[in-house]
Amino acid sequence: MISKIFQEFFVKRRKIEEYREKGKKIIGTMCNTVPEELIHAFGSVPIRLFGVNEFKEVYAKFPSWMCSYSRGVMEDALRGFKVDGVVSSTTDDTKIHLFSSYTFYVKPDFSYLIQFPFVKDELSFQFFKNELERFSLKLANFLKVDIDEKKLRDSVKIYNEYRILCSRIDSLRSMENPKVSGSEFLSLMLISQQMLKEDFLQIARDFYREAERREGREDYKIRVHVSGTDFTDVNFLRNLEDWGLAIVSDDFCTSAAYYSGLVDDSSIESVAKRYFSICSCTMSAKDSPIDERIEFISRRIEKSEAEAAILMKERGCEICGHQCSWIVRELNVPVLVLDYEYPISIEQYKTRVEAFIESFGR
Amino acid sequence: MWNPLGYKELYRSLFKKHLARQEELLKKGRPVGWFFSFHPSELIYVFDVVSAFPEQYSAYCAARGSSVALIDEAISSGYSHFLCDYFKTTIGSIISPEKATKPLMPKPDFIVGTRALCVAHTEMAEVFARYYKIPRFFVNYPYWTKDSLKNVDELTKDAEWVDEIYLEYVISRLKKLVEFMEGIAGEFDEERMREVFKTSEKTSELLIEILKLMMSKPTPGSQREIGDLVFIAFFVLGSDYALEFCEKAYEKIKERVKKREGVSEEKLRFLTFGIMPWHTLELYQYCESKGANFPVNLYVNASVHRVEAKDPFRSMAKRSFHFTNCDYSFLDSVIKTARKADIDGALLLENTGCRITSAIIYPLAERLKEDLGVPSLILEAPQCDPRMMPIERAKTKIDAFIEALL
Repeated sequence: MISKIFQEFFVKRRKIEEYREKGKKIIGTMCNTVPEELIHAFGSVPIRLFGVNEFKEVYAKFPSWMCSYSRGVMEDALRGFKVDGVVSSTTDDTKIHLFSSYTFYVKPDFSYLIQFPFVKDELSFQFFKNELERFSLKLANFLKVDIDEKKLRDSVKIYNEYRILCSRIDSLRSMENPKVSGSEFLSLMLISQQMLKEDFLQIARDFYREAERREGREDYKIRVHVSGTDFTDVNFLRNLEDWGLAIVSDDFCTSAAYYSGLVDDSSIESVAKRYFSICSCTMSAKDSPIDERIEFISRRIEKSEAEAAILMKERGCEICGHQCSWIVRELNVPVLVLDYEYPISIEQYKTRVEAFIESFGR
Repeated sequence: MWNPLGYKELYRSLFKKHLARQEELLKKGRPVGWFFSFHPSELIYVFDVVSAFPEQYSAYCAARGSSVALIDEAISSGYSHFLCDYFKTTIGSIISPEKATKPLMPKPDFIVGTRALCVAHTEMAEVFARYYKIPRFFVNYPYWTKDSLKNVDELTKDAEWVDEIYLEYVISRLKKLVEFMEGIAGEFDEERMREVFKTSEKTSELLIEILKLMMSKPTPGSQREIGDLVFIAFFVLGSDYALEFCEKAYEKIKERVKKREGVSEEKLRFLTFGIMPWHTLELYQYCESKGANFPVNLYVNASVHRVEAKDPFRSMAKRSFHFTNCDYSFLDSVIKTARKADIDGALLLENTGCRITSAIIYPLAERLKEDLGVPSLILEAPQCDPRMMPIERAKTKIDAFIEALL
């Protein structure tokens, strides 16, 4: 079931075309710190830009060593995938300069870069709240609509419902005999970011009902948590699972870190609170961003009873580059670091994963 | 014939005075802070703290040949290859000080990270502070976009309009920084702040004048000398010795321009941009010796701003108005500078590890071509790793570029 809808809605982006035909504005986001509820409340469609994993056009316009996520998004746009607007945030240098390059070369009708504070104190929260109000105003002007509290309330409700359902599906993944695989879960999460959440909810409810009735997987050798940033490679996770791993948890910006955390009520202040408090890969923290990230991963490892972690370290990712060695050092489970860059040569990873499994005596 | 301005002696005297200050303060037991470029360096003098700069120290290691071993040390410790060379070199010197060029930086008591140029500075501050288990402070500057900042002068950073919401937040963080430094270095002295900023204002005016004079015909100075102005603009702005340096340096270049003397017999005028490859500064001399001079170095231009002593906090915020911290619509201001300098070509340095300077060179090359009909040569040149830019290979490319333009 999943691979079919993944083809339709993620690879072929059918829903986006459908929305476009209905005259809806498509707003592409570049980071999970962009508050989608605000975009959704204006009647437009927030989608996460994911791009492609094969590069050609981008090499003449963007550094070839920057992370594959940013290159992929640029490549996709240069090949002709168009959105009406883009929104990014200042969470890392790549996201900032991807935004600048994108607006320079692709020239979308609307663009906004959310200034994300690196400090979590009251003053910075007030600034962030004002920043989201400013963003809402600019987007409302572009879309020629008014800010409507009722519509925001409806959007917040839909997004919270989405997050609760994702969490329930995630629980099926972390069962003793997992009923949902890691690759299935990532597929679902990616699909969910390519369509309106209300449309996704129907797919997710059907999936949940079907998955609940499954017997669950027993033939795995190790339960693992997978860690990383803008990871989208479903096939890679499927390979890990074929080699004997059960992926019971993750902290990808595109998956668990994307759906985690609810919005309290329908005010911009509450939306700001949720986005201000998420701590997946950002440099924003009360004390130490690395500590907060390690805590987030540790909580997920504990909850899912993962026995090990696999760090998907993208070679051009600055966040992975600075944080990975600390995560390896401070997590309380064995960690395997897999450096990767596209195109991926799968065989070399197989050898390493098999050796890692053997180190558990299994 | 290569005929530099003769700043070498001035720099020697400047560094001597800077090091003497450091030594004296260390003896007095004053706290040591690590800072990064675009940090408001005036505060170092207001609070009389010992300052060390990982970027400057890494450049020193690159010039002395130890950076390669330090970079390898960082990578083998789990840090990625595609990170800032300054980060990798400094981490290498922390992990394996025996491999690093002496004198090492003094161990920090605190670190200040800013995002006035890059998030990498805050990432570095975080990692360094974890190693030493010391407090660190972040100053969040916005990344300016066309709807938050308008019509900025590329050199002075004077702007026609800035969104006050953003400015207020930066200023509030800077005030918190002052509180943070008070907690470490003792009471804040407002009178001292006024004095330091007066010195800083005079110095900044002179730096701007020097860079304006560099655009004269023929180009009066070499980038081997002008490039080091970033040390003054980034790290010691606000000190008496920086002002003294700039007064003498300004006189020298003014005299040179008056006599219409150039650094070489000028055949071509190039704009250059990118963090300078500190291991191979002969690259600039090589071009200049062939008659290809550099009236504009956008990296040096980015480091300066017109300080306004009457409003120190606003002035500190203004430090972030450089084109590398603005969306690419601000390339308009760069084109104005390039037009004024009447350039024939551009030498742009792509720096594996620096997302800021590398991403922007592609649109920059495109704008130079479209607006001025000027071609660019892009060289891969990380600032501390000579392995990525063998000088002989670079020379071949430069020869071909110059030949095509003559």
